[in-house]
Amino acid sequence: MGMKIAAAMAAVLFTVCGLSYWYYQSSQATIATLRENNAQLEVAVDTAEASINSLQADMAKFAEANSALQKQLQQAEAYGDELQEKLRRHDLTALALRKPKLLEGKMNGATANLWRELEEVTGGDGSQPLPKWLQSDSEGTGNQDSDQNREDSSATGGETQASTTD
Amino acid sequence: MPLVERPKPVQLIDTRIYVVNQETLEEFLAEFESVNGNQAFIALSIKDYENLALNVAELRRYIEQQKQVIIYYETAVGPNSDDQVISETTLED
Repeated sequence: MGMKIAAAMAAVLFTVCGLSYWYYQSSQATIATLRENNAQLEVAVDTAEASINSLQADMAKFAEANSALQKQLQQAEAYGDELQEKLRRHDLTALALRKPKLLEGKMNGATANLWRELEEVTGGDGSQPLPKWLQSDSEGTGNQDSDQNREDSSATGGETQASTTD
Repeated sequence: MPLVERPKPVQLIDTRIYVVNQETLEEFLAEFESVNGNQAFIALSIKDYENLALNVAELRRYIEQQKQVIIYYETAVGPNSDDQVISETTLED
């Protein structure tokens, strides 16, 4: 009887030990999996936070660039607005009848200046020297709207090109 | 994203304008012929000259604004704005 009880106790003990071992192994495996998942989630959170920060920085940069763009677009309207205002203020027909040379000088100076400004707008330096005929304008008013600091280093300037335009 | 090179700048040729009225017509014809060797020219009315100037001003506005829009996009795709893609994380069961 005693042997049977001892055998039964041993069997129960063995089973409990086995179950405990299995539970321990299973728990360790679960803990390892959870640790790994936790590490991956931490990386994911870090990545998401970095992405949010990057997006916020980009949004701030885009807002600033957009603001600058709106300002530049507005500034680009200035030349046309000023020209329209000038044409409204001045009666060119009357001026052409009274002082044609004065008007001619102003027109040529403004036109030469405009060509150079357009060169600058498209990335050029706009430093082409003024044509000789413009510098030696008899009225001397032609350069009023032009850059006075430009030096004509070419004898022919735009005259040759202008006169050969077919 | 690599930026595309801009087109080369425009190179413009100077153009000479003559303002002539009835009183200065003879003088203009003589001077014009001495410079150009003939009396063939293209005339514009004051109104058409104004329209031409306004047209050029409008083209200039467009060029300037187009340039600013390009600068905006160049800034947007610049090296500091690389999109950071959130990597997918596969969790084990």
